[in-house]
Amino acid sequence: MLTIDRLEFSYPGATTAFHFDLTIAAGEIVGLTGPSGSGKSTLFDLIAGFLTPNSGTISLDDRSILPLPPERRPVSILFQTDNLFEHLSAGTNVALGLGNAIRADDPRVADALDAMELPGLASRRAANLSGGQKQRVALARTLLRNRPILLLDEPFNGLDDATAQPIRRDIARLVVERGWHAILVSHQAEEIATMCARVYAIENGKARLVTEAGSNH
Amino acid sequence: MVPMIKSSLCAVAIGALALPAVAQATPTLTIYTYDAFAADWGPGPGLKEGFEAQCGCTVNFVSAEDSISALRRVQLEGEATDADIVLGLDTATIGEGLATGLFTEHGIDLPDFDIPLEWTDEVFVPFDYGYFAFVYDTEALDTPPASFEDLIALPEDFQIVIQDPRSSTPGLGLILWVKALYGDDAAEIWQGLAPHVLTVTSGWSESYDLFLSGEADMVLSYTTSPAYHVIAEDEDRYQAARFDAGHYTQIEVAGILASSPEQELAREFLAYLVTPGAQAILPETNWMYPVLEPAGGLNPGFEAMIDPEPALLLDADEVTANTRVWINEAFAALQ
Amino acid sequence: MPAGPTFMWRPGRVMSGATIALAIAILIAALLTVLWTTGRSMPTTGSSVANIGHLVRMSAIQAGLSTALSIFTGVIIAWMLDRLRFPGRGLVVGLLSTALVLPSLVIVSGLLAIWGRNGWANLFLGPLGLPTGSSIFGFWGIITAHVILNGAFAGRIFIDRLAAIPSEKIKLGRSLGLSSWRRFAIIDASALVSSIPGVAATVFLLCFTSFAIVLTLGGGPANQTLEVAIYQAVRLDFDLGAAVNLALVQLLVCAVIIIPATTLSPPATLFGRRSTLHWPEPGWLTVLQAALLAALLFAFIAPLAAVLAEGMGPALLAVLNQPAFWAASATSLWIGVASAGLALALALGLAMARGLLSTSKLPRALLGLPVFTYLTVPAVVLSLGFFLLARQLGLPPSNAAPFVLVIANALLALPFVFAAIAPPLEALSARHEKLIRSLGLSSFAQWRHIEWPLMGRPIGYALAVAFVFSLGDLGVISLFGTSEFSTLPWLMYRAFGAYRTNDAEAIAAILLVLSVSTFILIPKLFDWLTHAHD
Repeated sequence: MLTIDRLEFSYPGATTAFHFDLTIAAGEIVGLTGPSGSGKSTLFDLIAGFLTPNSGTISLDDRSILPLPPERRPVSILFQTDNLFEHLSAGTNVALGLGNAIRADDPRVADALDAMELPGLASRRAANLSGGQKQRVALARTLLRNRPILLLDEPFNGLDDATAQPIRRDIARLVVERGWHAILVSHQAEEIATMCARVYAIENGKARLVTEAGSNH
Repeated sequence: MVPMIKSSLCAVAIGALALPAVAQATPTLTIYTYDAFAADWGPGPGLKEGFEAQCGCTVNFVSAEDSISALRRVQLEGEATDADIVLGLDTATIGEGLATGLFTEHGIDLPDFDIPLEWTDEVFVPFDYGYFAFVYDTEALDTPPASFEDLIALPEDFQIVIQDPRSSTPGLGLILWVKALYGDDAAEIWQGLAPHVLTVTSGWSESYDLFLSGEADMVLSYTTSPAYHVIAEDEDRYQAARFDAGHYTQIEVAGILASSPEQELAREFLAYLVTPGAQAILPETNWMYPVLEPAGGLNPGFEAMIDPEPALLLDADEVTANTRVWINEAFAALQ
Repeated sequence: MPAGPTFMWRPGRVMSGATIALAIAILIAALLTVLWTTGRSMPTTGSSVANIGHLVRMSAIQAGLSTALSIFTGVIIAWMLDRLRFPGRGLVVGLLSTALVLPSLVIVSGLLAIWGRNGWANLFLGPLGLPTGSSIFGFWGIITAHVILNGAFAGRIFIDRLAAIPSEKIKLGRSLGLSSWRRFAIIDASALVSSIPGVAATVFLLCFTSFAIVLTLGGGPANQTLEVAIYQAVRLDFDLGAAVNLALVQLLVCAVIIIPATTLSPPATLFGRRSTLHWPEPGWLTVLQAALLAALLFAFIAPLAAVLAEGMGPALLAVLNQPAFWAASATSLWIGVASAGLALALALGLAMARGLLSTSKLPRALLGLPVFTYLTVPAVVLSLGFFLLARQLGLPPSNAAPFVLVIANALLALPFVFAAIAPPLEALSARHEKLIRSLGLSSFAQWRHIEWPLMGRPIGYALAVAFVFSLGDLGVISLFGTSEFSTLPWLMYRAFGAYRTNDAEAIAAILLVLSVSTFILIPKLFDWLTHAHD
């Protein structure tokens, strides 16, 4: 269980104060909507450790992750773009998830790429991959790292539906299989609706529950 | 080329290894001097060979950028200095040397010198001398000026290069030359020269290079400069312009440091320096006149040089006391 | 990242940068202190340096004008070479930074061979009734020489910045049909702006402290700099205390330039791998660029060609047969390699730390200051300081000389090395920090997989600059060189001083060939090294 409890934050000199209260169960994807600048990225930065809250806690299975620096938090992030280093091969980009011994020929790299249906692409340079392939490579790395918290920062933006759909399915399946705690930020109502049982909207610095499982049916 | 690199590297390595052993076996005479003196093509190697053959010692030339730097280095090192002798101060800087109080009397019976004045200094021993002069290219200039007044009267596109008196021996020499000739009227001469001065370089090399590449009509140098071109290059187009009122003299000297543990050896070296044998080495390596008739006579290339009479020289104490004022006077005119 | 770093990220890198900055500060403080204390115990014949205000004013006007014109010229050069493709372009780019690092003695004689009274320019222009006379001398002579040297250096740095514009930006600009002017203002300017403060500060300091060029081309004491006055205080008056005071004045004046430059310089944002995408200008502009380039070739390359031409005489063989030449070459090479390595390590350390502190102005400034400090302290003061320091540590000067040479040359080259590598390194940090942190990459992995492969070209160029800088040094060696311990420029200078002009010209030509080859080959080598393994 990922618990965000009475988390307070405000940017220095800014008037808007953020207040977050939400919980995410293992195997669950929670949706997050709201206009640009409403605070979705702020919440992600707080969870990932790029920002420090004024008060409140973020805990995973009752253990606070706030004392951890970003690189040691149990978090994987899938950005909209820039998930890969374009000068490196797909395999090396995945291998960056291995931690210390970064070797593109590690069998686990090939396994992860296979699992993401990218066999044989290990040596291709990231710059030469398609948009969908790039996100799949990034997902393969997430799979390899296997961190319990997954932050999805509009990862399907810019992908056509036919490309995005199978990736969405894979992510949904992995979250359940691995028991990850995922948050999906998206502007597409349909995408949120298909992937998330619970959806929060950020308004005036607060996350408000707008959809409970099954309530919209 | 490869074997050469190897052998020269080996020579360096062996030299480095061999040095301490030699130093223990025989006494070492350390001489601080200016770089051109100690260079491969300078008088240093010849004098070292000549003196080592008679002294049973090792001569070690340590070169500084110029002679005044060699003196400053001794001052900085104080009592602990390795130097036994400072070689290369001249008539313009003797006063600075004496003022340090670091030198001791040479105590040598000096021979009769063939130099333009009676030498009575008890501390420094002269070893060569020359005269400052403007050098010109006979292929570009038929009649050189014969005085500072002539030079000033020339059209303004007649350009000369001189050196900074703060960093260059001839540059300081020109200040003294003008002062010796014109005394209180020196400032007027400088004002007259100002339009003709193309530039003031920090060192002699820069200005001489400017002259050789045709940038200027004359360069401040020595009466003996043409001797180099005649003897070493067989080229007689460069000549010194004779100024009827006389040329300023530069006498180069060496002195023994009071802190030296090798006083006797140092005295021997200074005595050797003014023997006909040692004097024979100097003219064609340092391009200055010997202080006495060298063994084998002077290369006739030197005989063709202009007669610099009358030789001018100011009193050393007066020079030391007034150098800065005179430099500022000249600079005020050149601004 | 408006709220600043929440945890100390990469403490090792920050500490290394801070340690380097501190070490440089301590070194310079120690050099000045030892000189000052020694000065107090030395008798002095009185100081004759007058009119400091005038000197500072003259130096500042000259350096300010030189800098503004150099940056302008540099931008034009980079803009032209970025757009034009022609055979020999690589050679031209390689030649650009060569002028700056050769001994100024060589450059001055090359300039004179072109612009002097008997120069090539007069040879062509004279018969047309347009003689330039001795226009290279005097105030404008100094400015011209400085702009030619530093403009080429600025251009060299700027070309790399333009080449590193990500190809998407170029594609975007092209598809939007940006006019040439808008293209420059929108795409090029944003790539250049992060480099300009560093390059400008470096050029200003070089011109402010310029010694040989000012003395040779200056035409007289009217155009002298503070640096020359300091030389006078040390050499003529032996007034070490006054020299330290003057050095501090120079340090303060330079600080007025350095502090804004290091504080205000925006972290670079645009950085990508060298793009092969080429987007030429419309026809008429290409013609204009080609014409400008021809003028540039004449102004910048001809003096170097003159040096080459004059050195290729029969003296070349004689020089190659001297053991002293080979010994000096060996010394020059190993000192160059050592100081290039040291300069790169220092610059990387400082730049990495700065990259991590992209939002905190004060630490960034503190890490930027040491880069320039060494350049602001007069060489004669530093060398004497080193000499005294070595003695106090019980080292004979002859043993200390190689170390001093390596350290001094590395610190002198630091601004150039830093200007080449810091902007791209900081741009990398800015772009990828979140991803790198969230992946938890180790500092080494970040270097090995992210920075090294992308930084190959800047690192290669930085090493080449530092190496050649040391190869061409005449300032440091002139105070430590002896007949036994010699480098190529020192050998050359001594040959000039002994009427052996032909030997000197041959060595100058050899130095030029070595420098240009370094500038062409080393960046290529590193480009290849970094591409070789992904």
